[in-house]
Amino acid sequence: MKSHKTGKNRMIIDFLKQYWFRYILGVFFLMLSAYVQAYNPKLLGIVIDLLDSSTIDKENVLYNLGLLVFVALLAFATRYTWRYFIVGNARNMECYLRQRLFKHFQSLPMQFYNHRKTGDLMAYAINDVSAVRMAFGPALAMTINGISLSAISIFSMIKSVNLSLTLLALLPIPVIILAMFKIGGMVQLRFRKVQESFAAVSDRVQENISGIRVIKSYVQERQEVDNFDALNERIKQANIRMVRVSSILSPLIEVCFGVSFMLNLIYGSSLVRSGVITLGDFVAFNGYLAMIMAPVISVGRVINLTQKGLASYKRLREIFEEETDITEEIADKVLQNMEGGIEIKNMSFKYPGCEDYALKDISIKLEAGKTLGIIGKTGSGKTTFVNLLLRLYKLEEGSIKIGGRNILKYTLESLRSGIGYVPQDNFLFSASLRENISFFKDIYTEEDIINAAKLSCVYDNIKAFPKGFDTVIGERGVNLSGGQKQRISIARAIIKEPQLLILDDALSAVDTKTEEEILSNFSRILKNKMGIIIAHRISAVKHSDEIIVLDHGQIIEKGNHKELLEQKGTYYEIYQEQFKEETARRMEDEAK
Amino acid sequence: MKQNSIVRLLKFTIPYLHIMIVAAICVLLVNSAQLLKPYILKIVIDDFLIKGKPEEGLYSITAMGIFYMLAIVIGSFLTFAQVNLMNYAGQQIISKLRKKVFTHIQYLPLSYLDKFSTGRLITRATNDVEALNEVFTDILINLFRDVLLLAGIVFVMFRMNVSLAVISFIAVPSIFLITKFFKNKIKENFKTMKSLIGQINGFFAENISGMKLVQIFNRELEKQKEFKALNDKYFRSTMFQVQMNSLLRPIIEILQTITIAILVWYGMDKIIGGTLELGVLYAFTTYIKQFFEPINDMAENYNTIQSAVVSADRIFELLDQGAMLEDLNTGISIERLKGDIEFQNVWFAYHDEDWILRDVSFKIAAGETAAFVGATGAGKTTIISLISRLYKIQKGKILIDGLDINDYKLSSLRRNVAVVLQDVFLFSGDIKKNITLNDEIAEQQINKALELSCAQEFIDELPRGMQEPVRERGSTFSAGQRQLLSFARAIAHNPAILVLDEATSNIDTNTELLIQQSIENISANRTTLVIAHRLSTIRNADKIILLRKGKLVEMGNHEELLQRAGYYKELYQAQYA
Repeated sequence: MKSHKTGKNRMIIDFLKQYWFRYILGVFFLMLSAYVQAYNPKLLGIVIDLLDSSTIDKENVLYNLGLLVFVALLAFATRYTWRYFIVGNARNMECYLRQRLFKHFQSLPMQFYNHRKTGDLMAYAINDVSAVRMAFGPALAMTINGISLSAISIFSMIKSVNLSLTLLALLPIPVIILAMFKIGGMVQLRFRKVQESFAAVSDRVQENISGIRVIKSYVQERQEVDNFDALNERIKQANIRMVRVSSILSPLIEVCFGVSFMLNLIYGSSLVRSGVITLGDFVAFNGYLAMIMAPVISVGRVINLTQKGLASYKRLREIFEEETDITEEIADKVLQNMEGGIEIKNMSFKYPGCEDYALKDISIKLEAGKTLGIIGKTGSGKTTFVNLLLRLYKLEEGSIKIGGRNILKYTLESLRSGIGYVPQDNFLFSASLRENISFFKDIYTEEDIINAAKLSCVYDNIKAFPKGFDTVIGERGVNLSGGQKQRISIARAIIKEPQLLILDDALSAVDTKTEEEILSNFSRILKNKMGIIIAHRISAVKHSDEIIVLDHGQIIEKGNHKELLEQKGTYYEIYQEQFKEETARRMEDEAK
Repeated sequence: MKQNSIVRLLKFTIPYLHIMIVAAICVLLVNSAQLLKPYILKIVIDDFLIKGKPEEGLYSITAMGIFYMLAIVIGSFLTFAQVNLMNYAGQQIISKLRKKVFTHIQYLPLSYLDKFSTGRLITRATNDVEALNEVFTDILINLFRDVLLLAGIVFVMFRMNVSLAVISFIAVPSIFLITKFFKNKIKENFKTMKSLIGQINGFFAENISGMKLVQIFNRELEKQKEFKALNDKYFRSTMFQVQMNSLLRPIIEILQTITIAILVWYGMDKIIGGTLELGVLYAFTTYIKQFFEPINDMAENYNTIQSAVVSADRIFELLDQGAMLEDLNTGISIERLKGDIEFQNVWFAYHDEDWILRDVSFKIAAGETAAFVGATGAGKTTIISLISRLYKIQKGKILIDGLDINDYKLSSLRRNVAVVLQDVFLFSGDIKKNITLNDEIAEQQINKALELSCAQEFIDELPRGMQEPVRERGSTFSAGQRQLLSFARAIAHNPAILVLDEATSNIDTNTELLIQQSIENISANRTTLVIAHRLSTIRNADKIILLRKGKLVEMGNHEELLQRAGYYKELYQAQYA
């Protein structure tokens, strides 16, 4: 099995290894609690018997009443203890699994995230982990509790009362369990129908509201209401149908246990009259029956919880079995610096599952102190180029070397820590600006942070916020403009003092003046280091030492700004087009 | 004055009062059966088992056993009946309410709907309504049942033995207080738990979205630590919950046992004195246990009611906007407009005095094509929303065929004006449904619309043609295809006035040409207003209207405007020379 190799599949076993003792303690106290509780009906029976005699032994009654209270206290203590251990441990497991899942998610490659929705992945962390907890906590406890309580009750019934009476009284129980399975299954089916219709209603409302302009413009309101009403009717019927079966269950159980109580009443009293059992026994028997009733009723719930837990466990196991293909198998060295430059040879790449090459036969050299500009349309392979350099995907064809050595031979951490990366989508965390720039690592001084902010031309903006660097951004804080976000992302990259700085179309939302300023700052910081600037705009790359034009994954033009303009090829065309736009934009800006 | 939400909710039950009364009678009988059971046991114990009275006819142990069984069978059947009756009534009410909310959303003006996010509106029609479901199906009747049951138990206890009853109730206040204390703690902590799980959710979401950065910057450990802190906090709050829940029930049970012990101790002397029967004492022990259930139930119901009231308040807030609903059916009805449009000193703002349009006046004759040109935020999109009265203007007048648009019947006005937005909305279903929407349109007319809008070609290439399924929001189609489909939709409805917003997003050259051709085709023979981005569209327009910051700055055709050497010329030269 795969799990042996990876050990990732052992999430529950690992947890149990660490915390098994709590379960043992929990189960011990749980059984103790069941045992103690079983004294309750018996003691009441004894008291009744004592009261039933002609001369009442007051002291003995008092003694037994005292015992009754003592048993209740003991039941309380044991119950609290087992719940603390079992239910509490299940909560512990929930958090343990979630933590582990979080760590596991961090180890998975970008490839994994490409074809999954965030919402689906979060369902693992919240819903599935929760379902596993329910199975290992409440469901497990209810099962053990039910079994021990029933066993002790039945044993006490036989021992202190009467075998035939016991057997007779327990007769309806198999019927109950059978009915519960049957009806429970039906309820589940019909409940699913209810959920489906509810989802259909939600979808319809969502679509309707999103398209409300179209609906209003085309006067579709009445028809939309009619369409909605059909779904509305469906959810109503589904609900009525579900309740029709689900409402059978508890009356049915009551009737079945009613038979037991009735049999005890008739047969039990005749036994009392014929002197086989005492009145106290009779009363105790009733108490035991009531004690068995509760766990039997919860069988359905236990089954349901266990099924859900198992399904979720399977889903979690699948996700834990996901592995990264970005391995460090041949990495034997820490990358110290990138002074040796980067050399890419015949690099070709297809995204897994795709037929077309995203990059084809790319060869290029980048020496220390130089900057490479990459330009090309959306989908021409610019970002893929960077993704491979960062080892976010596994490169199968061709090679990337740093200082003459394949990057596969450096540890991942050392490779990535030498690179300062500014992404296209300028993702920031909802935390303070300081944390976003230092990126949650507290090794940077205030000065470092300020300096990085200044170099990326965002310092003045930050200072303008009342809370400065402590301004929290995101949902619960301030909203930044696209340009501000980009510059924070740039600060985050340069504070690392990287050997290689990569800007993935990261200047698109800043105005031309700031762009120039940032670029000139770069040329200062990047003195002996390398830079890769990906852009749509010529203005961002024109100062680069070398510029490549990518199209459909291939390098179609190469050279510096001047050379490329002279070639009068694609680069020239883009330049012409943008020059016009640029003038128009400036005019608009001035008109404002 | 604003009526209390609970009272308003209760009003919904009026049409189903008869059903609810029957259900209430069922509950009454179920309660009686419930109370009868311990009493039957008492008779058996006292009369037959202790006193050994002779059995005769129905006054016998067997008969009592059968009575006992009957009480259970009848009680069970009535419970079943009651649950189904209440559920039936409840579902009818909920369904009505849901329809009402949905209808309101349909007819509320955009100016009101804009204030809400889509998510919030969806919640109104779905989850908020669902939250009331329980009120009608369970809570109302359970409350009734619990109160009755409590009263019944108290009544029977006092009937059986006054002093024992008094002693039994000694424990009641303490139980009440303890329950309240714990429930409050649990509720508070539950809120904390919920907020923490929300944070965990957010943390996961954020980290999944930002995973690439975390990996590139090697911040896995930092993020793990941060998550652990959050996760641990959540763990502590859940442990508190476990502990509280583990205390509440057992403490009540201890109190029950203590009460029983006191009861027996007190009753013992009376039994010796012969003034109390043992069976009565036994029945009391059962009643005490029965007594706690309705109390507990009511505490739980109280919480559900509280959250239901929140939902009800939100629903009523929406339903109270009745006066704002758009009236589609009064006003001048007109089959087909000619299409003369005139704006007379129109001022418009979405909020207060944030003027988006300032004193805009222009005339467009029937059959003409007018192009609106201007920077983002100049007010172009707003103008097209005003013509079909999606928003009402604050000052000035908009006339169509010489009449104020406010005087037309809204439905006939909108049927005559087709709006195509840049962000095309497609409904899930198939292509055909997206073109006809819910209207019946002749096959011929559809085909003609497809042809004119140049959508025919790509639809023919789809494996299932017109029946090709459209996914949510049309995600399987390109932006260009979506635009063509929306043109087809507009033309199929044969409007007198066509209003369209040209798409600017990345469209390949081939589709771009198609769109151009399409616009040319469909604007023939009808008044057309275009928010134009393409030079060809602008140049072909009969009238070009330049907007800047909500003001009309220049108007005329291409040649005229170029000659004037104003803003248009500047723009034109900068972009296209």
